[in-house]
Amino acid sequence: MITGGAFFILMLVGVPISICLCLASIAFIWDSGNPLLFQSFVPQMFGGVDSYGLISIPLFIMIGEVMNGGGITRRIVAMAMAIVGQLKGGLAYVNLVANMFISSILGSATAQVAIMAKVMVPEMERQGYDKTFAAGLTAYAGMLGPIIPPSIMFVIYSVMAQVPVSDMLMAGLVPGILLTVLFCTVIAIMDVWQNYPRGERMDWAQRLRVVLDAIPTLIIPVVIVGSILTGLANATEAAAVGTLAAILIGRFWTRQLSFRDLPAMMVRSGIYAAVVLFLVAAAAIFSWVLVYGRVPQAVAAWVQTVAEDPVTFMLLVNVILLVIGTAIDGAPGLIMTVPILLPIATEVYGIDPIHFGVVAVINLTLGFLSPPVGLCFFVASAVTGAKVGRMFIVTLPFFFAACLLLLLLSIFPSLSLLLAN
Amino acid sequence: RAQEARDFRLGIITPNGHPWNLAAAKVGERLKAETNGRLSLTLFPSGQLGNEAAMLQQMQSGALDLGWIMTAELGSRVPSIAAINAPWIVDSTAKVAKLVRDPLALSLLDVLPRETGTMGLAYGITTMRVVFSARPIEGLEDLKGMKLRINTTPAYRDFYGLLGATPTPIPTPAVFDAMSNGQVDGLEADLDLSWNQRFDKVSKTMLRMNAIFMPCVALVSGRVWKTLDPADQELLTRLTREALSAQIDETVVNEPKLVESFSAAGIPIKDVKVADADAVIAQYDAIWQPKAPALADLRKLGATL
Amino acid sequence: MNTWPARKAPLPLRALQSASEGVLKIEKILLGLLMALLFALILVNVVTRYARMPLYGNDEASVYAMVWLTFIGASCMTRLRMDFSVALLTEYLKPGLAKAFQAGATLIVLGFSLALAAMCWIWLDPIGIARAGFDAQAYAGESFNFLYTERTQTLEWPTWIVMGVVPLFALTTILHGAANLAEDLGLVARPERPPLDAGQGVN
Ligand code: NA
Ligand code: NA
Repeated sequence: MITGGAFFILMLVGVPISICLCLASIAFIWDSGNPLLFQSFVPQMFGGVDSYGLISIPLFIMIGEVMNGGGITRRIVAMAMAIVGQLKGGLAYVNLVANMFISSILGSATAQVAIMAKVMVPEMERQGYDKTFAAGLTAYAGMLGPIIPPSIMFVIYSVMAQVPVSDMLMAGLVPGILLTVLFCTVIAIMDVWQNYPRGERMDWAQRLRVVLDAIPTLIIPVVIVGSILTGLANATEAAAVGTLAAILIGRFWTRQLSFRDLPAMMVRSGIYAAVVLFLVAAAAIFSWVLVYGRVPQAVAAWVQTVAEDPVTFMLLVNVILLVIGTAIDGAPGLIMTVPILLPIATEVYGIDPIHFGVVAVINLTLGFLSPPVGLCFFVASAVTGAKVGRMFIVTLPFFFAACLLLLLLSIFPSLSLLLAN
Repeated sequence: RAQEARDFRLGIITPNGHPWNLAAAKVGERLKAETNGRLSLTLFPSGQLGNEAAMLQQMQSGALDLGWIMTAELGSRVPSIAAINAPWIVDSTAKVAKLVRDPLALSLLDVLPRETGTMGLAYGITTMRVVFSARPIEGLEDLKGMKLRINTTPAYRDFYGLLGATPTPIPTPAVFDAMSNGQVDGLEADLDLSWNQRFDKVSKTMLRMNAIFMPCVALVSGRVWKTLDPADQELLTRLTREALSAQIDETVVNEPKLVESFSAAGIPIKDVKVADADAVIAQYDAIWQPKAPALADLRKLGATL
Repeated sequence: MNTWPARKAPLPLRALQSASEGVLKIEKILLGLLMALLFALILVNVVTRYARMPLYGNDEASVYAMVWLTFIGASCMTRLRMDFSVALLTEYLKPGLAKAFQAGATLIVLGFSLALAAMCWIWLDPIGIARAGFDAQAYAGESFNFLYTERTQTLEWPTWIVMGVVPLFALTTILHGAANLAEDLGLVARPERPPLDAGQGVN
């Protein structure tokens, strides 16, 4: 108990979460009166990242770096404009659709918000949208990044849950598209009283030219998914093949990437990957001491007194994760909760680990958009200057839409399992 | 000290429901019953405490009391143990059942305390391993040139290498996918796992090589062992041997049912005879006899079973 | 708290800071190389398997490249202060108090590095192996520590060398942590760094 309290205080004063997890583990070992466990600390930490599935993480981050430097974003946005730009509320839809396409290349929400807010918000403001709404919408659209494959969070989850990475990645596709549709519906409803501006008209020749110019960039997701489906590569190798495709497209099609930029991109991706992977290593230690101390068993005993059936359990999980997600969102939230909740889900309630993973990941992604710590809002605010507090209020309908998606996913496992296997 | 109460931690890589896990749970129940609750056992399945290498390390330090570890892991550290993973020591699961309870096979475990810091109490078994192939095959010759997903222990690497296959390591959770999308042309596994994963759904032939099997060894941490009262040592040994002996018998009884299930599912099943394999055995033994001196004796014993 | 210009800081502190900066430079180069190696290994794996000549040890080599990347990158990130953190409280504190908390957090990170180094010491037991005359087998027999006899599964490299990245990480983060602390306490000026590209993130 004291360990737990100290852990939260450390976290609140700004000690990195990974270090908090390690220190909590050390305190736990100390407390257990079994100092022999200290001898296993180093090999367990190493073992936590000694896993083939994690290799795709640095590579997916590398794709983002290349895309950023290769002029790929601008083409995808232009294509979305050609498709839905002329509607009433056109740019709002463009924002969502472009984000959906870009999600099929990028694996992280914050990276996506940083890229898209720079492009979309000034454009929307110019056409007469409220800047705060534009920034908030972009932040929500960033949620699609870790849901539509590829996704760093799904990779982390699949390694923790020991399910095939490719199944986990594919499982996100239907929920991702569903979320896009729900968000579009919210815009259509909000348009009734907000009266959004109509987008600029484009003639068919223009549209065709823009789409043709953008289509090669969509080779990247096709290569990622296609190399898996044809058996050329597994999910991990697909990340490398996708990176290669992104480099070649950036260099020879958009011609905005120079091979001289690559070393710096490699270093940056390496550091960003280490931020995630080191957290995974810390989590391995933490979950090991929890299991060793039989904590999941104790939590399971309590949960069983509260939730009788799988659906009630999933709803309970959603409430718990939404609360945790206010302060600790994304991968860290996943890493702290999965070791405790997943064994209960699969062993006590017979829930498919893929189904559980989809719900947990989407819920903690929504944590990026809940106060007080909402990373996507922070990024959108840093890029555009819009205020975080007001951003949360004007975009509340999107929050409810995301909650609706979580409810649907919790009740109907088939939405998550449709494409997995 | 004889009255000291303790709860043993037992780590195992296989998931709940696997025959080994059921046997381990039975050891726990009997332990509790026979000591009126003084001794008990908590099972950590699915590698919850780490992979087999990590569990061995924890047993060496004394943090983990018991671990049931496959001879793939032990044999890649202690080559003499890998003698039991050599091909065609015996040619049926029924003979495997006799082999692993023979004092000769158990004597392979004598080096464990010195080489790994653990005590080996008994073997548990699975059925003999089979090859699933993505295209129709007839026999061993057809393994030539095949990209075959194998368990990466050195004994198997050499065996499949001699058969002309190209051993390909694929992480276990990804095997089904690798097979279904053609990253590999085949895989090898025991029947239990194969039926759970339904490898027949992505295969054209099941080849029963009747050559190799993958036992696990019930290990006790050497450090923990030294702290146990001799009566408790004896009790733990007896209950482990009884539970695994029952597991071995069940595996033999269940094998025909599993084969029948595969047959009913429609996959063609081919059998390999030892006579097809003399050349491979000679080449294999040339490599492994020096590393695993018990191999010749095991072969002699196997021929009498 | 006063921030002295770097020139006026005492020599040992300046030496500490330059050592940390020097190590950071080397780490960045290694990171770039490891990332390129990882990328190349995976592509080679795709090609060789397609050509029906898969390389047996390639998977293991790729995993270890990624693990080394993790710990070397984690050391860089400690120096660059870019780990995930929550820091809810500090946002509502007065600047002076917030600075004190920041220094406290840095001190705790340094404390962890020291604890990790201590655990590495227990695990590697350098005195024990030296006393056994660096005879791994004899040492393992008496200590039940089999670290020095173990080899990796497919490449058959000595495990202790592959896992040696963790003690290395412990040492470099002690150095970086100490440099960070000196800066937080205002004993030396923070080095000027180009802001990291905000266009990336990993969540
Ligand atoms: Na994505
Ligand atoms: Na939040």
